[in-house]
Amino acid sequence: MRSNSKVPCIPIEGCLSYEDWLKGRRARRESSNLVAPSIIRRKTGPHDRRLKKLFKGKRGLPFTRTENL
Amino acid sequence: MDNKKIRAALAEISAEGDPTLKSLKLASVCSSLWAERGIQLVVVGGSAIEILTEGAYTSGDLDMCHSTAATLPIRQRQEVMGLLGAKGGPRNWQVAGMYVDLLGPVESFARTPFRRVQGPFGEVLLMKPEDLLVERVLVSTYPERNETARKCSKILIAVILRGQIGVDWAEVKRLANLPEYRNLPECKKLVQEVADEIKLKSPLHSH
Repeated sequence: MRSNSKVPCIPIEGCLSYEDWLKGRRARRESSNLVAPSIIRRKTGPHDRRLKKLFKGKRGLPFTRTENL
Repeated sequence: MDNKKIRAALAEISAEGDPTLKSLKLASVCSSLWAERGIQLVVVGGSAIEILTEGAYTSGDLDMCHSTAATLPIRQRQEVMGLLGAKGGPRNWQVAGMYVDLLGPVESFARTPFRRVQGPFGEVLLMKPEDLLVERVLVSTYPERNETARKCSKILIAVILRGQIGVDWAEVKRLANLPEYRNLPECKKLVQEVADEIKLKSPLHSH
């Protein structure tokens, strides 16, 4: 089932190190992008008012591009 | 965690421009401070899915629950979040340029452990992907078709199928058969769809 065994796995048991979590970010995003467009954040939600006030009209900070992960 | 470390953490989180890193860092410092007071916090919902998948899904709030039987008394909650310069409360706060929502006791049916990722200021517990998967598939179907929840389910399944998150598929099947969900056919169908898209075998059909 594993397509790339070098990518650190978030295990069932045990704790993934911070370094390994960072190392796996790009591969996880690439896996996500295989089945869904790059950004799937909801356009609206129950906390829009407070979010848009804090994030200058957006619902959160912009996501880092895959190539920069 | 002494005041000097808290101030350094707060400065780092406030300056963080990457939303997923910012969430993980904030969850890390909150978890540490609450754990010092005997309460175990767990990142749940879309916030957990984001940390698990990098799926560009979550908004600017961090959803957490407590997995210990009790939570902190309101006064103590305000004091501990006050250490982080939080505004608001006692169930949601604005902290370091985002929101933290404390949603109450965690709701989990899976027998697998919470997933654990070491954050820069302490360990972070994440909701079990078995629960997240079955619940998100349910939300994508009921009470009506929900495209965002469906896409969210698909990214979670894709990251799992590619071996980047460890999951107990027998447990996924058991959960989907519980009266609380009763959505095994929908889970099987979506896992098969994702497996076909990324040219892998669906493990749910072999169980």
